[in-house]
Amino acid sequence: MANTRDIRRRIKSVKNTGQITKAMQLVAASKMKRAQNSALAGRPYAQLMAEIISSLDGKLDDITHPFLIERKVENRGVLLISTDKGLCGGLNGNLFRKITEIKTPTKFVTIGRKGTQFLTRTDREVLAEFSMSDKVRFSEARLPIEYLIKAYLEGQIDTIEIIYSHFENTLKQEPLIRPMLPLKNLKEAFDEYVKENDLKSVTHDTREIQFEPAASNFIDTLLDLFLKNEIYHTILEAKASEHSARMVAMKTATDNAKSLVDDLSLQYNKARQAAITQEILEIAAGQSS
Amino acid sequence: MSLLLEIVTPEEKVYSDEVEGVVLPTQEGEVGILPGHVPLLSILDAGELQVSANGKIELLAVDKGFAQVLGDKVSVLTEGAINFDKIDPNEIDEAHKRAAKALAEAKQKGEDPSEIEQLETVVRFSLVQKLMKERRR
Repeated sequence: MANTRDIRRRIKSVKNTGQITKAMQLVAASKMKRAQNSALAGRPYAQLMAEIISSLDGKLDDITHPFLIERKVENRGVLLISTDKGLCGGLNGNLFRKITEIKTPTKFVTIGRKGTQFLTRTDREVLAEFSMSDKVRFSEARLPIEYLIKAYLEGQIDTIEIIYSHFENTLKQEPLIRPMLPLKNLKEAFDEYVKENDLKSVTHDTREIQFEPAASNFIDTLLDLFLKNEIYHTILEAKASEHSARMVAMKTATDNAKSLVDDLSLQYNKARQAAITQEILEIAAGQSS
Repeated sequence: MSLLLEIVTPEEKVYSDEVEGVVLPTQEGEVGILPGHVPLLSILDAGELQVSANGKIELLAVDKGFAQVLGDKVSVLTEGAINFDKIDPNEIDEAHKRAAKALAEAKQKGEDPSEIEQLETVVRFSLVQKLMKERRR
């Protein structure tokens, strides 16, 4: 049976680890809250965008724009949103499994160090790596977004897709590949967008809307802003996933530490009791002899 | 009678209040909006947006985006907006210099065009803010 002192030492170290994981769990929880809040703060923007799209409805038929043209795919362009730090359960592992399923030539742009490490280790082409703070300001997100759009327009990549962890709920995050460009069916995409941001608050005005400049000029700016906002939101979602995955992983670790401490305490008490019994036996034996 | 002005960016709702009039920096030039304006949809250029409320004129620097006038509501959709009073000229100057320097360096080294474009955006936005501040001094 193990020495009581050794057991005591182990209990102490496990308790310490448990305290650390508990702290990390709390930090992740508050960061997750913040990520969700910033996703909510972007709602009015999305709603206004949907309003504008619906007022332009029917005026944007037969337009051509590089974002809408489907070309032969030689190189897929994938934005991989992973995390900078580990200790978030299977989050990154699931994403990477998704990548190994891609067999066609692909160029990657990454957000998060873990993703870059994986891609370089497995000998895949990484065009650029960007970092993103936990605050996820729009100005930060703009850099990778503009980079992707540029690469797409120059023909370096023929699609823009995003691999990220979709936030289903706090306990479940699903790795997803989300195609962004080309926009195969603009009308459908816009309709869906308008439906998603249900327009109850729309101010009603029966007068005909004036367009300045003409409606057909809107498409460039509109597509640009639309795409940027969509990618920005995907990044926000990935962040929320990261923090909730970390929170859950740390909660499990804390629970495990607790049950380990319980087991060890039991073992310790048994060892202590055994030692006492042994001592009494020895004394009794000494007296009777 | 008054107008409701709303300015939204991807990050937050920057402005939402009753105002008497707005001057929008559109692609076609400055457009003044007063209550009862015809419904209008317009493209904004980076520039200054004038708001008159309570007899005072307030200024905001905005990046490119859209403006929608519908009923008595003016909605501005832009990628960035900052209130004139919150603009610190020194900070802007600093940021502008930094960006311009990085831009020059990047051009020299022949760096990524997209990085250059990004820097150009920063320069453009900070320049607008700076010009606004200087004009009012």
